[in-house]
This record gives sequence, structure tokens and C-alpha cells, in this order.
Amino acid sequence: MKDFVFPGRLRRTARALVAAMVPRWDDFDKDLTDEVLDEVEALVREMPLFNQIGLSLMLTGLEFAGGPLTLDGLRPLSSLEHARVVERIERLADHPVPQVRMLPMLLGTLISFSAYSREDVEQFLGLPRRAWRRDRKALRDRLVQLDAGRPAPAPPTPLGGAPEVTPETYLLFEDERAHHRPDAGQEAG
Amino acid sequence: MSPRTIVEPHHTRGDLYLSCDVVIVGSGAGGATVAATLAEAGHDVLVLEEGGHYATEAYTANIPEMLGKIMRDGGGTVAFGRSPVPYLEAKCVGGTTVVNGGMCWRTPEKILDEWSERGLVDLGAKALDRHFTEVEETINARHQDPGSHGGVNDRFYEGATALGWKLSRNRRNQVHCVGSNDCVTGCPSGAKQSTLQSWLPRFWAAGGRLHTHTRVEKIVTRRGRAVGVSGTLLDPYKKRRFTVRARAVVIACGAVQTPLLLQRNKLGRECGHVGKHFTIHPNVKVAALFDEPVNSLRGTHQAFQCTEFIDEGILLAPGAIPLGFMTAMFPIFGSRLAEKLRRDHRHIATGGVLVDDFAEGYIKTLPFGIPLVRYDVTDVDQGKFVRAAARLAELYFAAGAREVYTAFHHHAVIESPDAIKKLYADPPRVEDTEYFTAHLMGTCRMSADPHDGVVDPDGQMWDVPGLYLADASIMPGTIGVNPQVTIMALARLVAERLDARLGRGAGAHSVSMARPAA
Repeated sequence: MKDFVFPGRLRRTARALVAAMVPRWDDFDKDLTDEVLDEVEALVREMPLFNQIGLSLMLTGLEFAGGPLTLDGLRPLSSLEHARVVERIERLADHPVPQVRMLPMLLGTLISFSAYSREDVEQFLGLPRRAWRRDRKALRDRLVQLDAGRPAPAPPTPLGGAPEVTPETYLLFEDERAHHRPDAGQEAG
Repeated sequence: MSPRTIVEPHHTRGDLYLSCDVVIVGSGAGGATVAATLAEAGHDVLVLEEGGHYATEAYTANIPEMLGKIMRDGGGTVAFGRSPVPYLEAKCVGGTTVVNGGMCWRTPEKILDEWSERGLVDLGAKALDRHFTEVEETINARHQDPGSHGGVNDRFYEGATALGWKLSRNRRNQVHCVGSNDCVTGCPSGAKQSTLQSWLPRFWAAGGRLHTHTRVEKIVTRRGRAVGVSGTLLDPYKKRRFTVRARAVVIACGAVQTPLLLQRNKLGRECGHVGKHFTIHPNVKVAALFDEPVNSLRGTHQAFQCTEFIDEGILLAPGAIPLGFMTAMFPIFGSRLAEKLRRDHRHIATGGVLVDDFAEGYIKTLPFGIPLVRYDVTDVDQGKFVRAAARLAELYFAAGAREVYTAFHHHAVIESPDAIKKLYADPPRVEDTEYFTAHLMGTCRMSADPHDGVVDPDGQMWDVPGLYLADASIMPGTIGVNPQVTIMALARLVAERLDARLGRGAGAHSVSMARPAA
């Protein structure tokens, strides 16, 4: 279904689950719940009907069966306060029955893929992945340009990168390369 | 004006009726190789691809966006069994070569000898050598540029070297892989020589045409012979149909989709092998925490493999992955995961173990066309996984790791080299293990005997003349190494045989494709 959205109660369950699973740090003041939920929903939209039904059933299971399965009472997941949701999901993720464990882990994977590939999260963690991708594209374009003037060795010989880069500077950002001293070694963090 | 080489739904109107010498379904490792080979031989070739065409600039850093765009089912593909095995299958021009790790290995000679002994004499190492060479040159199967490996690969190298274990330096299909470490969602620099950068440009240069967003549903047969395909054009504005008439049909949709298409068309039922003998080279992940930063952002996905235990069917490898995917390494979430990653993400090296599996799964079409992919990891293979994970843990500790993380539920963390023994003392069950795979093979295997497989040594279906298969599904068995070079070499072989049957060049329509009576 290309117009798939989690309906009514399922959306409340999904939201409670996402709220429990998105990253939170004391000094990161953004609540990612709604944005990540939208992204997860967009991803589920790309899945075939069979998977969408499967995911909806999994959410229903977590909503109503999660309590009895973890001996945590009968209250549905979406009606619990945040701390209790986290506690219940952690118990489910450590449940002795593998099929039960799988429910939160599978949904958690979808949520974490989405949350941890966000630019704001990566920036917060000091991981400039988008800038790195841009830097790499620019470097490769220059290396390919350099290659245009010289014969390529047959595979499997590596192409190298001199004089644009040396093995010591290959994995440095452009501005780091500009400041690289031969004895400085590779920046490590 | 020259005809378009890539035709998207908005370039056309109404239902489409097309004709060509050869129609090829799928543009991945098999389909693109056959397409380029036949187009260069002068045939009028049309490729149909269910997914869209995305140039390098279209690959973004947003993982869910890319999963939705280029992966089948938004990345939610799973083989069901004792423990579910998520698998990687792309749906875009270039197929799974767009999202794989780019490792290039020839089929081991031992395996080719086994295939030859089963009567497939043209699959011997000597016979396939020229195909392997052509493939390696086309896709630039090279070692990495010096200095591009990065910390994840370097720690792996140090561990294996310290233990004196055999290492292979990976050949990867790349031209200046600059260590973006984002292979799985499409190479952001254009370095990876997927078929989009290698075979398809050759195909287009030779005059080939490729239609995107075309879902083939029916293989059209006349008097038992395949004469074309038809299906739905995935135009977002209006449901449209297409029909292609051709002298030969090549199906190259991969080891899952190819048998499903045949089953939905009730083809190949006589042999009883369609969808059977499904092997997947399951992997389990292993990661390690180091005191010194590893900095997995920078470096290539996988520069080495440890082949010390290859005779046991065990391969150890590093595997650098972006942070979003790294989260799947840990069975925690929310604030606990957030704190763990904030503290440690620079210090974590990721890797995994691959096992040459003895088990065979199957692909089946259920009522309403629902696909069932089934694969059960056996206890014998699980024993290999335990040994393999223990050895990779040993390797990481030898490289200086502080602790090692595994995919076994009851042994998620190994705190010291001594604690590795726990894996043997209390071996994890299949049900308590998380697997993953990207190597799907062998559901329509090639055979020398019509009763033993789905396609003949030319890649033509035993019971459907004119219908050829050219993807991982035709592999006669598991190979124990990354399969893309094997798929391409087999596809070259199939293309060469098909070319011989069609006769060279357009207009050579008098060449009979009739197969001699058995």
C-alpha cells in the first residue's frame, strides 16, 4: 500500500515504541520521536502488503501481549508511561523465547537505522559523515582526472593516488591534508 | 535524434509493445553482463528492470531513504526458518551490484572441479578462465589504493598477522575507492564499478535499450517456446501494461526472484528443482572495542579476508559499516544504546564470519502469489559459526581489543580471551543467533542431466526452449566466496552460447533455435 500509515491505536503503539528507542542524551535537546516515526512509516510504505500486515501484527502483539509475556501486567504498551515502556521492551528483548525477542529487536533495527543516520545525531556524535562523503567524492573526481593522462595498470594492481594523495594522507579531509606534516601520522579520531 | 538508452515511464505513453532479438529481465550481475555481451555481438537487446535508475548523486546519507529507494521491499527481505535470516536484495538499475561490498573472487578451483565432475565440463577452471579475465578487467577487480583501508581493516590485519593466520588481500571492483564506507546504500563517490559503471555503459554504447520500472509478470510461450514477456509498467500516475516479443528470453532476477517468476508462470515444474537447493552463505556479525580509536567513518568496507580456516568452510572478515548499521550490532536501544555509542563509536571495529553452508532452503510461491523464502541453519553449520566467531574474537583480542561483541544472545559480550571458552562450553543455539546474508544462490541450478537441474550447460531451461537463466540461481552449488564474479562469468558463458544460437548480428533470424529432441 503506497499510502500506508499506521492506523489509530497502532500508531500510538508505534509512537510509544519509537519514543523508547530513539537516542536521548542530556545535552541533546531534540526529541526525535515524531520525525523518526514518520521516517519508519515512509520505509514501511515501500514494503509489500504482506510485510505491512506482518509489522502491524507485530505491533499489535507488543501492545497487548507484551505485558502478559513479561509478567508486567495487562496494560497495553501505549498506555504506559515512558519509563515503563522502556522497561517492558528491555524485558521483551531479553525474553527466553527467541520469537518474542525478535519483535522489539526487528522494530528497533528499523528505528535505529533511521535515528542514527540523521545529520543532527551524527553531528552530535562528532561524526561528519555527510561532509566526509562530499570530501571523498571531490577527491575521487580529482584522482580520476589525474588518471586521464596516464595509462592504467591492469587489474589487480591498485591505482594509487600520487601526487594528489599519499598513503599517509589518503584518509584525511582536504583541509587536514593541507596541514599534514610528514611526521604527524594519521589523525585518529 | 538517437533513441533513448534508458527509458523511464514518463518518456512513454499508453501501453508498450516492443520487439527485439533478446529481452533480458534484470540488470544486475547476470543480466547486465549478458546484455553487454550480446549487444556487442550485434544483437538487438532490451533490458527490463523493475527498479529505477539512480546515478551516483542520487545516493544520499539517509539510510531509510536509500533502503526505500534501491532495496527490494524497503530492505525488509527475510528468509524464514529456525532463526530468520535478513538478506540483501536490491531493486534498481545495477541490481545487487549497487549495494554489495564489491569483493571479487574467482570461483575456487576445488568447486569448479566438483562441478566438472558432475558433467558440467564447461565450468572447469581452464574453460572459464577467459570469462573470469574479461569480467575482472571490465569491473576493475583491483586491490585498494595504498592508504585507503582505514582502522577497521588495519586492526583486522594486525590481529591475523599477530596470530600468523593466512590473509588474502581483497580485489574489489573499484576505481579509486576513497574509503567513504557507505557501500551498502550505493557508492557515494562513483568508485564502485557496479554494473551501472561497467557492463551497462558497454551495453548502452553498443546500442542497447533499458526500460526501468517494468515488472515482468508473464513469460509468453508459444508451442512450448519462450517468445517474450509481459507485465506492468510501474507508472505512478496510471497503471499501464507492456509486452515484449523476442527471439530469446533471459531471466536474471536473482536467486529469489527468478524461481518465483518461473513458479508463477508454472514453468520448469517437470524437473522438480525450481526454487530448490537454495544456499545463502549465512554470516554472523562480530565486533570489537579497542582502546585506541578505530574511526570507522574513514576507510573501505573490506580490504582483507582471513582464509586460514577456508578448508573448514569458514571465512573471517572485517566489515566497516556506517553508524546507522552499526546499531544492529548491539541488542540494546534507547538511552543505553545512545550512551554506548556516544562513548565508544570511534573505538568499535565491525566484522563478521561467513560459513560455507551445507543446508539447502527453498523458495516457494504461496496462494495469492505470496513468496515464501525458507532457510534453516543446521546444527552442523551452527557448530562452524561458533568456531568461526571464537576465532574472530581471538583475532580481535590479538589485535588489542578490550571486549568483543557477538550475535549470540547469551554471549553478547566476550570480556577477555579466556572468556572465549564459554562459547564452546555453552554453545549458542541456532534460535539464539542473529544471521544475515547477501549471497543468495542456486535455486535453478545448472545440470548435465535434465532430471538433476533446471537449466542445461548453455543456461537454457531443459523444458522451455528459448528461455535462458543467467544469474546466481543457476549456480550448481555453494561456492564459499563472494559470488559476483562467478555470476558474471557464468553469464558470459550463457551469453556466448546464446549468441551462437542466434547467429551474429541483427537480422540473422534464419538461425534455428530449435533444440534437438532428447
